Amino acid sequence: MANDTNRTMRAASLKSRHTQTPGELQRYRLLVENVQDYAIFLLDPDGYVQTWNKGAERIKGYNSEEIIGKHFSEFYLMRDKVAKKPEHELELAKRLGRIEDEDWRVRKDGSKFWANVIITALHDDSGKLIGFGKVTRDLTVRKRFEDDLRQANTLLKQHQVDLERLSAAKDEFISLASHQLRTPATGIKQYLGMLLEGFLGDLTPEQLASVQRAYESNERQIATVNSLLKVAQLDAGRVKLKKKPTDVSEILRTIVNDYTEKFTTHDQQVQLDVPDTLEGNVDEAHYRMSLENLIDNASKYTPNGGHVHIAGHLANDQLIVTIKDTGVGIAPEDIPKLFNKFSRVPNALSDAAGGSGLGLYWADKIIALHGGTIEIESTQGKGTTFYVRVPME
Amino acid sequence: MRKILVVEDDTTLREVYTMILSRGPYKLDTAANGKEALEKCALTRYDLILLDLMMPIMDGVGFLEHFASTTGTPPSKVIILSNLSSGQELAQAMSLGAYKNLLKAELSPGQLLSTVLYELEA
Repeated sequence: MANDTNRTMRAASLKSRHTQTPGELQRYRLLVENVQDYAIFLLDPDGYVQTWNKGAERIKGYNSEEIIGKHFSEFYLMRDKVAKKPEHELELAKRLGRIEDEDWRVRKDGSKFWANVIITALHDDSGKLIGFGKVTRDLTVRKRFEDDLRQANTLLKQHQVDLERLSAAKDEFISLASHQLRTPATGIKQYLGMLLEGFLGDLTPEQLASVQRAYESNERQIATVNSLLKVAQLDAGRVKLKKKPTDVSEILRTIVNDYTEKFTTHDQQVQLDVPDTLEGNVDEAHYRMSLENLIDNASKYTPNGGHVHIAGHLANDQLIVTIKDTGVGIAPEDIPKLFNKFSRVPNALSDAAGGSGLGLYWADKIIALHGGTIEIESTQGKGTTFYVRVPME
Repeated sequence: MRKILVVEDDTTLREVYTMILSRGPYKLDTAANGKEALEKCALTRYDLILLDLMMPIMDGVGFLEHFASTTGTPPSKVIILSNLSSGQELAQAMSLGAYKNLLKAELSPGQLLSTVLYELEA
């Protein structure tokens, strides 16, 4: 009940504001005069300054003696004065009651500041225009900050464009350089091949051995160039999978068959556990090359006499191929690095294994494009298992 | 006597292919680009053409387009011998009547020679 009475009294006092006591008026005047953060002053109907406060002095640099009686167009840039902007703004405020503007204004010392300006038309009880109230804020710091931010943003966007262009140029460069490298390597292969295959007559065993080493070295170079090309194509987003139902058992059988010679050379035993047919929805060529990379690695990183076990099955709507070897294994700290580009994990067999460090990177990306994953379990000195999972869809 | 044409822009490869393939019982010609190959084809009908794809002046696809438009259908067996294992150029070449695709970097001299001999008989 007491609260209701208080509210009623406050409302009555607000309503009667136009009949403020001299004490109240004095307080308002002091309030306006002492505000530091805003320039608050009155203009007469023609735009001449009538009052001045501390904020106006601080922001614009004039004291009240210097400015009272002067026209408010003093605060405008020359170009705005010429364009009659001050008069135009007063005219608009008169018509609309109030206008707000954000633009450059000039201080007494000629320096510019970014101002937020509100001009309000003031009328007496009979509705006659008696002048304007003008409130100005100095937003130069905010403006500079915004400009810097905008500039930084533009710069950032430009950098991003540059970076994308650079990345495309890099892909293009790798692609071109690889093509250019492959042609001479192909020439070397043919000449050495002629020597090895007896096109140019018999060689001594020493000559033959040297040519054989040169041939193998060149083959590694061709393989690296091919990997670079494949990776460049992948990184440039030019690999588009053509998935279709494919017999993965058959893929694994042919890979194992192709690698028989390699396994035999290293006295490695291979066991393949797959059903007669195992249908997966994959891009045959890319999926096959990914598995070849893993099976090739299993052989490379397994000592002579070791085992490689390859299996495929379906589980939980996934096609899972596992490649398990009894090789040197991978240190836990090296596992996360395995799928990085040019990653070579040092171990007892890495020198002999050769390779470009691109195979696993490529395979991982290709399986990811299938919506799948390659996971690793490894124990150093015991072996590694790769799990290649691809959704059945 | 059978006639084969090797179209290859790289001089070293053209020479080494000549050394390898000159061991077979046929007449061997070479051309350094598609345009030269068209000129030779205007004078001689080849049983087999080994065609590179990426070449200056006129590439392999350009050759096949002109070859098809001048003769109606490619009368010779055309085998692409390039380093492209996929891509638009290869697809175009195959659709223009090329018979098969061999990867240069994968063929040894013996494999190249035996492939050519086999294709001439087949």
